Amino acid sequence: MTIKEKGYTHWDGEFKDGKFPWWPITRYGIKLTFKKKFFKFFFFMTLVPAVVYLVGIYISERLEDFSFMVRESTVFLQINPAYFKSYFTNEGLLFMIVIILVFAGAGLISDDLKYNSLQLYFSRPLKKKDYFIGKAAVIVFFLFIVTLIPGLVFIIMKIVFSGSFKFFASYPWLVLSVIAYSILVTAFFAFYSLFLSSIGKNRRYVAILIFGLYFFTDIIYEILYGIFKSPYFSLLSFKINLQQVGAFIFNQKTQYAVSWVYSLLIIIGICILSALVLKKKIRGVEIVK
Amino acid sequence: MTAVIETQNLSKWYRNVLGLSDVTLKIESGITGILGPNGAGKSTFLKLITGQIKPNIGNVTVKGEKIRNNYSLFSIIGFCPEQDSFYEEMTGWQFITSLLKLYFFSTFEIETKAQKALEIVELIKDKDRVIRSYSRGMRQRLKFAQAIAHEPEIFILDEPLNGLDPLGRRKIIRLIKTYKSEGKTIIVSSHVLPEIEAMTKKIILIHQGKIFAQGDIHYIRDLIEAHPHIISIKCSNPRELASRFIREDYVLKVHFGPTQDGLLVETNNRDKFFSLLPSLFVESNIQVEEITSPDDNLQAVFDYLIGK
Amino acid sequence: MSVEVRDLHFSYGKVKALDGVALDLPKGAIGLLGPNGAGKSTLLRILLGFLSPDKGEGRVLGYDIKYQQPMIRRFVGYMPEDDCFIPGMDAVSFTSYLGELSGMPRQEAMKRAHEVLFYVGLEESRYRNIETYSGGMKQRLKLAQAIVHDPRLLFLDEPTSGLDPQGRKEILGLIIDISSKKDIQVLISSHILPDIEATCSYVVILNKGRLAADGNISELKQIKYSLYEMKIKGENKNFLQKLRDMKSNVEETEDGLLKVYMPPGKNPQDIFKTAAEEKIQIRHFVKSQTSLEDLFAKVVGVD
Repeated sequence: MTIKEKGYTHWDGEFKDGKFPWWPITRYGIKLTFKKKFFKFFFFMTLVPAVVYLVGIYISERLEDFSFMVRESTVFLQINPAYFKSYFTNEGLLFMIVIILVFAGAGLISDDLKYNSLQLYFSRPLKKKDYFIGKAAVIVFFLFIVTLIPGLVFIIMKIVFSGSFKFFASYPWLVLSVIAYSILVTAFFAFYSLFLSSIGKNRRYVAILIFGLYFFTDIIYEILYGIFKSPYFSLLSFKINLQQVGAFIFNQKTQYAVSWVYSLLIIIGICILSALVLKKKIRGVEIVK
Repeated sequence: MTAVIETQNLSKWYRNVLGLSDVTLKIESGITGILGPNGAGKSTFLKLITGQIKPNIGNVTVKGEKIRNNYSLFSIIGFCPEQDSFYEEMTGWQFITSLLKLYFFSTFEIETKAQKALEIVELIKDKDRVIRSYSRGMRQRLKFAQAIAHEPEIFILDEPLNGLDPLGRRKIIRLIKTYKSEGKTIIVSSHVLPEIEAMTKKIILIHQGKIFAQGDIHYIRDLIEAHPHIISIKCSNPRELASRFIREDYVLKVHFGPTQDGLLVETNNRDKFFSLLPSLFVESNIQVEEITSPDDNLQAVFDYLIGK
Repeated sequence: MSVEVRDLHFSYGKVKALDGVALDLPKGAIGLLGPNGAGKSTLLRILLGFLSPDKGEGRVLGYDIKYQQPMIRRFVGYMPEDDCFIPGMDAVSFTSYLGELSGMPRQEAMKRAHEVLFYVGLEESRYRNIETYSGGMKQRLKLAQAIVHDPRLLFLDEPTSGLDPQGRKEILGLIIDISSKKDIQVLISSHILPDIEATCSYVVILNKGRLAADGNISELKQIKYSLYEMKIKGENKNFLQKLRDMKSNVEETEDGLLKVYMPPGKNPQDIFKTAAEEKIQIRHFVKSQTSLEDLFAKVVGVD
């Protein structure tokens, strides 16, 4: 016979060895994002282009079955690096990524600042690094679903539909391109949204910043380019920088007459700058003087 | 003594939310502690007696005059609200002086009064900082300063000690006591019952929008018949003493603590009990260390009247 | 000893927050007192491993406060002063989430979260979104998250702020229960001295970044001479006269308290003998002590 006595009881379990102490942060971050109103709808919409491109790959292998539909052009359905580039760098996808960030990224740090919860995290055996990785991994999760995973699926399905490794043999580096570009885009947007999320306490305000700043850089480029006609203004636009580097990674001609190296440097520069700000902003205590 | 503040059938609700229900009472000069659980109606009551909100039923008179829209009364009342409500971009000095201007004092008077109030709450050093940069304790002190700056006769202080450190509390409690000795009227609320007891024995207990008790704490305690008095005695040989108690029919219970250095006695007749006590000690040659009444305090009154 | 520190110094820029604090805390509940700006929060933050001291050394639960901060944080629980929570969560997810961040396995954290929420009295609202919680409930939730991983050292910063008398009594009851477990040390920082007296047996008083006093509350409060406080009922003229005849000094305060100073050689028994003779009721009788408030004011140098 035993009785359970009233009062405080100890926990007699064992702590984990803690290889991924940040994992709960990521898991809850993802869970909370899915709970947001309309998020599922927008996320589904973001996956639509991937489905369309996948159908394209299927059609390219069954061209004769669909020839009644595609009369004038067979060029469109050549599955080559340009096809991949057009998926990865098209404005629609980048736009939808920004929408995802508005849902998944805006509150990541700003909510913790608003509700004073950083001290709850840092009174636990977490390092700043763990907190940051945990939050960034939420964005990585969503962005990989719309970049890396579709890219790899395209390649695999192309091989499956065609029934031969000919495609893979022609572009053996394409897998690396997909991986490299996905990492670049994801890293950029992760830093971008975490940085903005750490400078405001209000999630809505951060969401507007994430959305607004992205398009603002593009508009500024349009205006300045319209006046001065210098392609170097394209470096101001986040979107164009990503597209330029994307074109290089997929071995395509860059659209603007500026070296992609500058764009890459700008993207890396923004990431480093964000990391520095985040390092200063994320701390367990407000220092009061 | 004549009542300074009188209310009749005072009732207030916000749409269908009850604020206060049918409160009729008189408050005399001196310190009156007002207490009750969160949401009991304390703040509503304090706002009603300062004329800030209009009752749905009933009325309030202060010094025999109706309070609503009675501007001459407003200048003799100092109110310290529970919530912060500052103009964050003002400095502490600007805040106090701009409020004093509303009482039509001369510039000279405004400055001396503001100076005095800020000195009392020890904010002189920080008077030119904007309120936004004030700490929680400083905000509380500034709120208190604005309640006393115009030297009112009636102080209505809603949780004035909240967020203050022990020295701040001590200082304000002392200040409130000097106001009492000057014959002023102070109504003060607090959730920390020992602090109320440090200031006054006169309390008003509000719960569910109604007055549950008003008067002297010990007198109220005596009225609660459902709970017999508990008396704690620390002494040598408590069991010998207990054997004498159990013969008396007004002793209801005797228990011994785990440390065996004393006993608790429950009785329904304190007079008889205490009359017997000294002679018992002498007859049985018992060394007494302490006699206390653990449930003759505000916490016990509160628990017995309001507790679950 | 679970907390030992030597010669701690810490400054925020030019402002000195800690100026050579040394502590050796005994077991049990400990109250940490001090006026605003005394360095309490800084000390707490160093002991928790949020901040690293500029100078000085120490150990918390046997771990070095400079080099083993993550280990310290695994075994301490912290209940912060201000409201803090994570929006969009219910109490169970919140508590188990923080348990997981302390390194508990997920299923265990979930089980334990329910247990501690029952313990702090939130059982009925544990599935509710915490954004809808009242002040008192948030306070309990903060306590729950601080004990979910069964810490060996528990830091409570103003645990009763914003609570009404009932809520305050219940939280204090929980703190007393937790600190009655011999293997958990509780450190409470508070401005409300009656709360400290209700829960702690030992206090540490800081002032201007230095240690102003520390020791057992009952020892600190003792006064050397035999002064007694009592309340009596009955015709007291003869009684008081007889006491004075014994060469004891009798004073009556405004709220009806008698302060009786007994000269050497007399003992309190004589008071009761006199009372028995004079048919006086002694309703209250204690040996006088310094109040914690007076003690506090004295050691921080204010009258």
